[in-house]
Amino acid sequence: MERRIGGLETELGLVCVRSDGSRALEPEAAARELFRPVVALGRSSNVFLRNASRLYLDVGSHPEYATAECDDWWELVAQDRAGERTFAHLAQMANTALAAKGEDAVIHLLKNNVDSAGNAFGSHENYLVDRRGEFTRLPRILLPFLATRQILTGAGGVVREEDGTSRFVFSRRSDHMWEAVSSATTRTRPIINTRDEPHGDPQRFRRLHVIVGDSTMSEVSTWLRFATTDLVLRLIETGRVVEVPVLSDTIAAIRLSARDLPGTAQLPLEGGGSETSVGIQQQYLDLVAPLATQDEAPVLEAWQRGIDAVRTGDRTWAAQNLDWAIKEKLFAQVCERRGVDLSSPQIDRLDLAYHDIDPRTGVFSSLQRRGLAPQILPEERIARARTVAPATTRAHLRGRFITAAEEAGVDHVADWTTMRLVRQGAMPVSVMDPFQTESEQVDALIAEMGEMGRRSAASPPPA
Amino acid sequence: MSQQSIYGSGPAEDSGDLEQSAGSGQVSASVQGADDILEEIDLVLEENSEAFVRSFVQKGGQ
Repeated sequence: MERRIGGLETELGLVCVRSDGSRALEPEAAARELFRPVVALGRSSNVFLRNASRLYLDVGSHPEYATAECDDWWELVAQDRAGERTFAHLAQMANTALAAKGEDAVIHLLKNNVDSAGNAFGSHENYLVDRRGEFTRLPRILLPFLATRQILTGAGGVVREEDGTSRFVFSRRSDHMWEAVSSATTRTRPIINTRDEPHGDPQRFRRLHVIVGDSTMSEVSTWLRFATTDLVLRLIETGRVVEVPVLSDTIAAIRLSARDLPGTAQLPLEGGGSETSVGIQQQYLDLVAPLATQDEAPVLEAWQRGIDAVRTGDRTWAAQNLDWAIKEKLFAQVCERRGVDLSSPQIDRLDLAYHDIDPRTGVFSSLQRRGLAPQILPEERIARARTVAPATTRAHLRGRFITAAEEAGVDHVADWTTMRLVRQGAMPVSVMDPFQTESEQVDALIAEMGEMGRRSAASPPPA
Repeated sequence: MSQQSIYGSGPAEDSGDLEQSAGSGQVSASVQGADDILEEIDLVLEENSEAFVRSFVQKGGQ
């Protein structure tokens, strides 16, 4: 696909503490506080917003935000960060309300992937792929890329080994991966999930659901997750014979790769031989480079710089752009300054603070303000993305529908493919092509709501 | 509660010093910035780090 649609689902961690750090509210109760304004608006803790995204409360009291359909990866980053801002705003309102009740309780929302007891939660990438096509060979070609992509796009972190030592890794996610490909999401978590919900015409499309990624704070890291994976998918879709280094044990390899900061560990290949994470990423980069458009030159350049940061050990660029390298440097500085090592609870706390989405107090935001982490998107663009859907996909129609319904005060329901007014005899409008941006049926719905809004304004309900 | 309560401006927009950095697409690391961030982190870590970490336990999601 020349134009590909993608979306990102982010589950957030939630903790509500007193000023002494002890737990003030259980996650369920804290989530109720957080979602009060959402329930007031949509009468449900599962709503679609004006920017066509979905905001909801997932299993385990995880606040979740799913971006609308994007066909541009910087737009996707803007939509993802808009979701952070919306949740940060909800948290601020909840915290103000708790303070007003005199409660010693502050909610923190953490865009990370594991709690202190080792429970994992996800950052799920969705890619639209063609139904007729290459799905049978897709996992074989994609998996070695995904298993080693963490040297570029990992969020970094510390793992405790069985022998009690602590070490810095590219990604902690690898330890929560148990299978290469399956339909499970919680029990035996795979790298690629085969759940096939295309949210579109199933004759034409299917959805590739990649659940190996870390939640990334750096805009560059998030952008690279999508931009590089898109290119590898395009390589597969050429239908050409593609020679890639297939790993003999993907799960063993992903764990080894996570711990291999010099990038020199040999990962065994199917049929003999071995290759390093750096070598595997370089092979993919070289394979996709001829397929990249002129506009994608920055993707190839950033990808190469990321590989080089591991290969040469020169972190100059990576430590200002990629989450794992920003964190690696920061953790080392803090360890030295405070006289602790990576096993200290202070480093665990620092890792959580790095992923805290509060733009005033989160460590990542502080790094951005000081020029120590990338801020590619202007704040105005992120703010705009909170209420404006991507313009070049079906999200545009959903965003117009929801905006019109909320402005007219009309009860409505929406999901990824369907829009409907809540009243007797209302017919749902389905848009099965995620690339569609115009629809006479949706125009008609919006016009109808405009009428309803005017009528109810002309005769206000009795007070 | 009105719709504004979801879409209303969040914490970022309330803060004056955030606005200065808004839109600066360029990373310009400074020694001063690096020192400031470490001092700021000291304040976070000196406040009950261990208790905070222990408090953060949820059932799994996904």
